[in-house]
Amino acid sequence: MTANGNSRQVVLDLLNHRPVDRVPCFSGVGNVTTSGLKQYGYRFPEIHVDAEKMANSALATYEQFGFECVVAPFDMGVEAEALGCQVNYYDDGSERILYPTIKGKLSEKIADLKLTLPADFSTVGRIPIVLEAIRRVRAKVGDQVAIGSWVLAPYTLAGQIVDLNDLLKNSYKKPAMINDLLSKLADAIIQIVTLYRQAGADFITVREMGATSDVISPRMFGTLILPHLQKVFAALPRPTVLHICGDTNQIMEHMAASGADALSVDQKNDLAASRTKVPQALLFGNIDPYGLLVQGNPETIDAGIRKILANGPDAVWPGCDIWPEVPPENFRALMTTMRQHGAKGGSPQ
Amino acid sequence: MTASPEELKEQLQHGVLEFDEDAVVDASEQAVEAGYDAYDMVMNGLAEGMNQVGACFAQGTYFVPEVLMAADALYRGLDILRPHIQFDPAKQVKGSVVIGTVEGDVHDIGKNLVKMMFEIAGFNVYDLGKDVPLDKFVDEQLRTDSDIVCLSAMMTTTMVGMPIVINKIKAKNPNCKIMIGGAPVSADIADKWGADGFAEDAPNALQEALNMIGTLKELGAG
Repeated sequence: MTANGNSRQVVLDLLNHRPVDRVPCFSGVGNVTTSGLKQYGYRFPEIHVDAEKMANSALATYEQFGFECVVAPFDMGVEAEALGCQVNYYDDGSERILYPTIKGKLSEKIADLKLTLPADFSTVGRIPIVLEAIRRVRAKVGDQVAIGSWVLAPYTLAGQIVDLNDLLKNSYKKPAMINDLLSKLADAIIQIVTLYRQAGADFITVREMGATSDVISPRMFGTLILPHLQKVFAALPRPTVLHICGDTNQIMEHMAASGADALSVDQKNDLAASRTKVPQALLFGNIDPYGLLVQGNPETIDAGIRKILANGPDAVWPGCDIWPEVPPENFRALMTTMRQHGAKGGSPQ
Repeated sequence: MTASPEELKEQLQHGVLEFDEDAVVDASEQAVEAGYDAYDMVMNGLAEGMNQVGACFAQGTYFVPEVLMAADALYRGLDILRPHIQFDPAKQVKGSVVIGTVEGDVHDIGKNLVKMMFEIAGFNVYDLGKDVPLDKFVDEQLRTDSDIVCLSAMMTTTMVGMPIVINKIKAKNPNCKIMIGGAPVSADIADKWGADGFAEDAPNALQEALNMIGTLKELGAG
């Protein structure tokens, strides 16, 4: 038993900047596993479109492995679909795990885009399914484990609803036009998150992986991306996490200025260096979800997780969605190492 | 006063590097009008400009928007110059390539840049686009008897479809060379999955392809 109480209390204390006596192990983004799907006899394509299946699949990772969160939804098409895009669920009977993708963009040219937000997001696309899934999870777990939900941030969402080439080039050529679009999408995100929180989500992760330094310059991140992140985080109920997978080393200060309660980075981030760049920020990371969790084995995972712990993260969590085909013994190894080595180094609180 | 070939090639390089489509169109039209070697203009003007763009990208002074704008400028020139290229077997690569982004992945920026490098070098390119069902790569390779198949993936979640395609193609046509690339792909993974080549970026993809074609021709001659 920890001084903070149960798992949910530890996670929420951490997210609310209160002292905690250990480093929790959880995620703000997808962590459904094929092992969890097997428990319920679900196929991957169906868990995105059915509230009960979404809820149970999300719960299974917590139930089977003690991962300290329950997170829904799983795919990056929810917001875009609510804005009118068509989604491909790859429900063709194949056993392969394919995440839903957007198949019909709202407009190829941003200049031609006429975007009007729905009057009530709770009734459009799969938002009602996500809301019902969150309510079902809450009813099942009570206050035992933290419930997370997530949305795409404005720029990444823009990349879902319009042609990505056009978005990238116009970010350079016509930033005013892109600013208008991002501002509107920020409004949509704020409305959707507010609904998720009302349904029972404890914390929200906002994902802006479309704006890493693999894609756009750190300077453009500061001028074009950051103002909209600031708008979103200023309006969202706390606590919140800003997640960016990809190269984030040069934009840590920008991320810290976003107003999010915690910053989440992936294995490309030099966590120890980031610690010194943004000493005040809560830093979550940075397990390589494929290279370590899927391709590793219990021994390499133990060593890899201890190496991450040595860099001083506030939470150990995956740099992106857990790849569903993670071997169960690897997931158990992750949680075992965290139980053995996750205690904070004896500083009296 | 007619500009010299060297001046025009420099204008093409600079136009690509600075995303100046008008300058590229102007130099390309002048080169055609003066009857200069179009292949020389493409390789030592446009492609050289793109090499410099690649260097800027590697150094972190250019990012994806800049590369895309440079590619637009390059294509403006290529559209004008390509019809005037005299086929010269000594200079030009004869080869064909099937390229696409694997099923479940709708990212095609990297794939399109690699495709551009192949087009510049004179390959026949069969572009299957993005979100391509895995069997379609196998069918298209057989249909076109292409020397090379290039698979692209931006996400770990879709990358895992690659070994399925590699095995299927190799089973039907062991001589076909397969190259993989994309953000999550590494040389280690390419090796493990039995791919013949791996490329970090578009210029490397072209070089890797040329090496593989070389191997193929040796095999054919032997």
